[in-house]
Amino acid sequence: MSAPFKIQRLLKAPRQLVWEVLTDPKHLANWFGPKGCRSTHSELDFREGGSYHYCIVTADGTEMWGLQSFREIRAPERIVLVQQFSDAKRGVTTHPMAPAWPRFTLSTTTLTEQGAQTLYALEWAAHEATAEEQALFDASHAGMTGGWSGSMDQLEDYLSLLQTT
Amino acid sequence: MIPAVSADPLSATFAALADPTRRAILARLSSGETSVTELAGPFEMSLPAVTKHLKVLQRAGLITRSREAQWRPCRLQAAPLREATDWMAQYRQFWEQRLDRLEDYLQTLQSPTDSSTPPPTTENTP
Repeated sequence: MSAPFKIQRLLKAPRQLVWEVLTDPKHLANWFGPKGCRSTHSELDFREGGSYHYCIVTADGTEMWGLQSFREIRAPERIVLVQQFSDAKRGVTTHPMAPAWPRFTLSTTTLTEQGAQTLYALEWAAHEATAEEQALFDASHAGMTGGWSGSMDQLEDYLSLLQTT
Repeated sequence: MIPAVSADPLSATFAALADPTRRAILARLSSGETSVTELAGPFEMSLPAVTKHLKVLQRAGLITRSREAQWRPCRLQAAPLREATDWMAQYRQFWEQRLDRLEDYLQTLQSPTDSSTPPPTTENTP
């Protein structure tokens, strides 16, 4: 099994508030997409077995539908969910830019209190993936977690060299 | 094989990059073209095994093999590689931006506009 993608950040807020912002529909639509995106659909049924069906529209007007299915919820510290690209009818779709991207991914969020702050940690893994999907998922984040043991740095140097000419 | 590659070049690139030997080959080629024999040198594998890896890289468009010289030097092709690194940068950016927005939003909720009332729970940003 390959290593999951991990990202974490120390948030300047008490854990209870972070939990509310992650799980309350009043909050979710306000921050859910990356910067420059807006939320046009947000339907949350927050319980184990429930789901979050959403649509975010990117700055260039592209609609991105997604569906999260909650596997495990332990307030106020842990959420495990299956993430998939979707459409307005809750169907399973492929990644708009990379059809071989895993159709299902498993995301585990943990919130840990650190004084008055909260450590947000996300682990993201391919879920029920084919070998091809797994390879694409692994290669996509291997470069950022050091799994490429330096060879990617050399390639990047080379690429930047090419771009300056 | 060919139609699949042209339908989704990014996946073909990443599938080729998913192997450590092939990444090492690419890294070696980033310092200039070379022969198959020379490429095989640092690896504990047979020449045919190396040739197999080269074919995968070739099919993904990551390298070309010149027909000019008899030793048919391998050369790195930068375009698909650049696409792949752009994709990885985007990927990281996506998560960083999501966390930026979460951070900003938490900040807004906790900003002392009126310290006697609890943080607003309605929409603050469009």
